[in-house]
Amino acid sequence: MYVNRRQLLIAGGGLGAATLVGCSSRGGGAPAPQSTGGSPKRGGTLRVGALGRAGAITRDPHGTQSNESDYLVLSLVFDTLTVPAGKPNTAPRLAASWEAGPDLRTWRFKIAPGALFHDGGPVTAADVVWSLRRLRNTKSGASRLPGVQADNITADGDGTVVLVSDYPNAELPLLTRLSSFVLKKDTPDNALDKAPGTGPFKLDWYRNGNARLVRNEKWYGGEVLLDAVEITMFETAQAMSNAILAGQIDLASNVGPVAARTAETRKDLRVVRRADDMAMPIVMRAKDGPFADPRVREALRLVVDRDAMVKQVLSGYGTVANDIMGTGDPRYARDIPQRVRNLARAGQLLTEANFDLGKTYDLITTEDIAGLAESATLFANHAREAGIRINVVKQESGKFWDETWQKGTLYTTYWGTNDSVLFLGSKLMVGDAGQNEARFADPAFDDAYRRAVGAADEAGRAAALVEVQKIQHERSGYLLWGMADGIDVATAKVQGLPTLAGYGRVQLQSTWLR
Amino acid sequence: MAALTPGAAAAGSTDPATASPPGPARAHSAHRAGRAALRAGAVLLRRTLVLAALLAVVFTAVEILPGDAATATADRGDSAAAIAARREHLGLDRPLWERFTDWMTALPTGDLGTSARGEKVADLLRDPFPNTLALAGAAFVLTVAASLALGCLAAARPGRRTDRVIGHTATTAFAIPDFVLATGLVLVLSLWTGWLPAVTVADASGKPAEWTMMIMPVLALAIPQTGWNTRIVRAALTDQADAPHVEAARLDGLSTTRVLLRHALPGALPVIATGIATSTGMLLGGAVVVETLFNHPGMGTVLAGAVAGRDTTLIAGSVALAGAAITLVLLAADLVRAKTAGAGR
Repeated sequence: MYVNRRQLLIAGGGLGAATLVGCSSRGGGAPAPQSTGGSPKRGGTLRVGALGRAGAITRDPHGTQSNESDYLVLSLVFDTLTVPAGKPNTAPRLAASWEAGPDLRTWRFKIAPGALFHDGGPVTAADVVWSLRRLRNTKSGASRLPGVQADNITADGDGTVVLVSDYPNAELPLLTRLSSFVLKKDTPDNALDKAPGTGPFKLDWYRNGNARLVRNEKWYGGEVLLDAVEITMFETAQAMSNAILAGQIDLASNVGPVAARTAETRKDLRVVRRADDMAMPIVMRAKDGPFADPRVREALRLVVDRDAMVKQVLSGYGTVANDIMGTGDPRYARDIPQRVRNLARAGQLLTEANFDLGKTYDLITTEDIAGLAESATLFANHAREAGIRINVVKQESGKFWDETWQKGTLYTTYWGTNDSVLFLGSKLMVGDAGQNEARFADPAFDDAYRRAVGAADEAGRAAALVEVQKIQHERSGYLLWGMADGIDVATAKVQGLPTLAGYGRVQLQSTWLR
Repeated sequence: MAALTPGAAAAGSTDPATASPPGPARAHSAHRAGRAALRAGAVLLRRTLVLAALLAVVFTAVEILPGDAATATADRGDSAAAIAARREHLGLDRPLWERFTDWMTALPTGDLGTSARGEKVADLLRDPFPNTLALAGAAFVLTVAASLALGCLAAARPGRRTDRVIGHTATTAFAIPDFVLATGLVLVLSLWTGWLPAVTVADASGKPAEWTMMIMPVLALAIPQTGWNTRIVRAALTDQADAPHVEAARLDGLSTTRVLLRHALPGALPVIATGIATSTGMLLGGAVVVETLFNHPGMGTVLAGAVAGRDTTLIAGSVALAGAAITLVLLAADLVRAKTAGAGR
């Protein structure tokens, strides 16, 4: 459970916001890799450790991936239409370019020329249509390709795929970022484990979550430098940390701050920090109850000491945030003033709102991810200094997701896709959002959101996006105090590692060994 | 994780009745063999029933935990309807006893059911189970050898310094929690000295890539159990030292070693066998922790993930296999006791 709840980004297709209508970019879609040591060199085997659980192994590219190790294998063997990137946050992959009709509903994706399956067959629109429909028809399809019915995914000739959305959606290409893996048309379910992909690496072997991949010499996206990638699945970050410290692997993917602290002291190891990786906001129920008054919610936001949270909860591996979800968005509103601790103002707001300071309020949390429960405890301490009594209740994960999530009045949550303000707005804050964690319903927000995704002119959408963020900063149900870095540890010889947050970390096609 | 430990304890409760000596020596030997077979059958039946009851407990326990496999394998964005459909697909909407009966009736055919993610449980356990057996088996052999050696050594020098050192060390070894011991081993034998690989990396065959990867997990399992069994061996030998035939042997002027090995040890074997057999449960239970710490590709890691995922069939499949292994060892212990106790008469 713990791992799969993190896979929200797969669930949501990991959208982002900033793609321009008619964007037609070129190139292999590689994110700006980290470069430190000389010119890229061909050859070598990269040994990667990734988290995963033996009981949760799945080989279906369109299944519920709860193992980071499985997702890593899949995304190196198969290609998605688009991939996460820096600026804009969506780059071409199997789709070389895309454009929308004037209504922002019909989107045409052109398949990359020269794209071949590992068995040599060309990739056609029919393969893509079949794969996207298969994805859409899975049990979680509606949340992975929201607003696109299976029937509205069609081929136009051999080289173009047409997606028609139920409503105008300027972000549609972002929906295809993380789970639109393309397989050959009519691949039977019992042959998924050996199905040829189109990705930068071919599968050599896979067994119980561990795998070896070898270079795809004919990859359409550019030259792949590594001879092979060996992936070892780790049940715990601790074991993975030991493996990199002992030199048994070259890259410990998403290994976390504990390993990073040890690695900082070693010359032969390098810590890769990927900013804006994980949001761990506190949810305050906006619909009813003690936090329904926006002044109370603002007071709580003024009570938290954000620097202390980042320092103590994240061991310093993170950044302070400003109560706006989607901090990695290229169009994140950095000019909205940073909220800082102000106990006097908080007290004033609480008095105005007649907030009952005599009561004790439960803050419910889990130990699903490192630091979450600690963030709740530290926040409760900060609140106590303002006279608000908060009692932290740790719930077992299963109980939390059943009983507290989306229902509680004050609880912690976490999100792994943070490079799109609009994606998170659509999921969490629009009045009828499927996962409106705080039961936030604000007509002005909904209106701004709709203009931000559906207005005909780019300038109008940009202005609306700023408004969306202002409203969030002012009165949403979230207290977002900071953002945790994603942390990988690598040996000094590994070069060209991805620095993107979230699942951007699996893009190892440009990685090489010194 | 929790599922295996009570299982081990339940299956490990050896029945004193089975230790009763065989029938009178003057009885006809064929008759005696028949009765022995009958009794062995009864023991087997009883152990099988214990295992079945244990599996029923496992099913119930997973049911009581909050959440189920449908929510555990759902994406966070899934609607309530999608989760309900998933629940139906997994058969979780059916009554518990019905699911349990279906699963149990398929069990004798070797069908362990399907996991919450639609994989065959037998496939999921095919590689991990032998890996765990290899690990626990090696730890078992080491435990037996070391605790017999240390126990005898201590008993040969009663009250002397060797005896005291062994006694204290054994108690300490047993008291150290698995994860503390494992972490200490990694620090000393791998990160500081670089002598051994810190974790297990499996190759294309699904087995540890190098045999040296087995050393630390085996030590982590065997050290606490050796501590426990050394004390048992020592105590059993002390009891035997007062037995008339041992006393007689000593008075005959036989050497200490000879008295110990030829006269005291055979009499102590039933108690020692029981102690060591009980350790089997602890070894397999401890494997859950130790495998996770060392990334050993065994059943412990499967089980830990399965409990988190509320994957009832996968948990039950693991427990059934582990339970069967423990049951076999307990049966073997029963045989040893029956045989040695009989020979003593």
